Amino acid sequence: MSDIRLENLSKDFGSFRAVENVNLEIKSGELFSFLGPSGCGKTTLLRMLAGFEIPNTGKIQIGNKDITQLPAYRRQVNTIFQNYSLFPHMSVFDNVAFPLKIRKQPASTIKSSVLEMLSLVKMEDQHAKYPDQLSGGQKQRVAIARALINKPEVLLLDEPLAALDLKLRQHMLIELMNIHDLVGITFIYVTHDQGEAMSISDRVAVMNQGKIIQSGPPDDIYERPSSIFSAYFIGETNLISGTVSQVHDDYIELKCQIDKDEFLELDSTMHFTPLPGKELTMSLRPEKIAISRSKPRTQDDINFVRGTIEDILYLGTHTQYIVRVGKLRIRVFSQHKRVYFDEKALDWEEPVWLFWHDSDTWLIDEVASDTSPSGSDLEIASPYSRAVKKLGNQRI
Amino acid sequence: MNDLELKAAARRNRNSWILTAPALLWLTVFFLIPYLIVVVYSFLTPDIYEVKFRLSLTSYLDVVSSAYLRSLFLAFKLAFQTTAICLLIGYPVAYFIARSSEKIKNTLLILIIIPFWTNLIIRIFSWRIFLSYNGVLNDTLMRIGLISSPLEIMRTDLAVILVMVYVYLPYMILPLYSVLEKIDFTLLQAAMDLGANEAKAYFKVTLPLSAEGIFAGSILVFIPALGAYLIPQLVGNQQSLYIGQIITYKIKNIPRNWPLASALSLVLLFLVALLLVLMFTAYKRRKDKLKGLVA
Repeated sequence: MSDIRLENLSKDFGSFRAVENVNLEIKSGELFSFLGPSGCGKTTLLRMLAGFEIPNTGKIQIGNKDITQLPAYRRQVNTIFQNYSLFPHMSVFDNVAFPLKIRKQPASTIKSSVLEMLSLVKMEDQHAKYPDQLSGGQKQRVAIARALINKPEVLLLDEPLAALDLKLRQHMLIELMNIHDLVGITFIYVTHDQGEAMSISDRVAVMNQGKIIQSGPPDDIYERPSSIFSAYFIGETNLISGTVSQVHDDYIELKCQIDKDEFLELDSTMHFTPLPGKELTMSLRPEKIAISRSKPRTQDDINFVRGTIEDILYLGTHTQYIVRVGKLRIRVFSQHKRVYFDEKALDWEEPVWLFWHDSDTWLIDEVASDTSPSGSDLEIASPYSRAVKKLGNQRI
Repeated sequence: MNDLELKAAARRNRNSWILTAPALLWLTVFFLIPYLIVVVYSFLTPDIYEVKFRLSLTSYLDVVSSAYLRSLFLAFKLAFQTTAICLLIGYPVAYFIARSSEKIKNTLLILIIIPFWTNLIIRIFSWRIFLSYNGVLNDTLMRIGLISSPLEIMRTDLAVILVMVYVYLPYMILPLYSVLEKIDFTLLQAAMDLGANEAKAYFKVTLPLSAEGIFAGSILVFIPALGAYLIPQLVGNQQSLYIGQIITYKIKNIPRNWPLASALSLVLLFLVALLLVLMFTAYKRRKDKLKGLVA
């Protein structure tokens, strides 16, 4: 087995701490992602795994072997670089053959393995071309073939899809998953794109400022964020600060101030037991909230609040409503399924009910500070022209 | 192409003639015509002071006589050694500059260009002082006890090579630098990632990618070194027959032999042109291959 173990790994560049005390275990054969904004240390971590940076403290182990100090060319680890780094003076064939030629394999073995590798990435008929003659996607395939031909224990991918356009990116993502299934080695994937990380990975580590904030399967991180950062960075969310008012056996009552002397009473199921009076933050995913003109039938485990529609952004697959509740602005995604709500379309400034299940009021044991994003500062809800806002929010 | 585009192309063609006319005129008057005169003179008969306007091939027959062939050979040998040493020194320097930070880079480049601000003859004369029997070099070496009697470097082929390397080194460094600077150094990391150690990564990636600079630098050093006149004249061995010296001698000193001087110049020119054609062909073939035009 060749599990990867990172122990107390830190790396400084001058006075800047790029990676801080990272402890992590990555299972053999896993597709693991490091996800975080640029400058969070994910690339430095990858470069330490590849052997391009030596950590200041800590240890990197693959299986039982300590590779912390091993130079890049002695590691059973290969990298797909962001810009592919194909050798411009070599043909596709020679690029892929490079690792074997370095190891002085006989020509006949080289030829058969290169062609085998190229057929794995569907590039066998392009072997005589040079990198300049290839498209971005093709270069990517050659880079994959070149990195896999040595049969490494670990493949590192540094934002491999960043340079491709959207359609190709989606296509290559699926292809990467297929290749991962075929070769069965550990893939470590670095990206700032949460969509990529979520769809491709077995597990994701969310990083910020050199530290791993949370790691786990994608759904775990999305549904059960452990910090404001991971709730905010992954997907869309509404962050509401509140105070625990009462703790019951199976649920918690919370109170949040939404105006000078206006309070919301919310319920949440519990995944930890706070004391009454504790301040914390709730993460409320926009797609978990239902929106309706009529008040829902009262149910025990449903939260409902009254608000006014401030903004409506039609986004094709769903509509995004910005609903004003006191001084809060709550973002709600509503899919266009008429079987459930046979109502006429909601309009600007209409009073509405928002409701969601107790278990979707996700509690985070952290107080939103001025620097961390909070539910009330949805910058998109400022009163510019609606058309401009619609364009600006296409990516959402 | 439609009519409009054709007309535009034709206009561009016409305009390009107008734009190149001054340069063409210049080259014709001061380069092509003088060369034609040299060609004509090379086929005339020598006389003590002037030439006799009678066609003859004697000068070319003289050129292939062993003495002049030896001179040609010496010229090529010195130029080749100069180029090789310039490459050996210039490559690491260019590499270092290319990999330095922006600020250091500019400083170093300026330092390389500064010597050009001083007249060539003055720089050669300072080398004479430096290398001479009682000069700075011998003095220093004797003082620190490395040698017991002065070295005779001045007025040898070695002195010629030393000064030529000094004078032509920037012509090697600058083109090498411009090529090395453009190399994406993540390619080296990629090579090491794929199992090549530093040396292998260098020889398989950096060296081939810098071939263009080696080629350009070598031509820029080799050609002026081949025809060098001033440097052998001022620091060279007076017994050695440097080709530049012979040509000057045959033009200046009585008995004069202008046809022979012309023929020697033309043979030298022809050999350089031949060398260039060969090198460019090899270079072009390599480049075409890179573009995948030749499988």
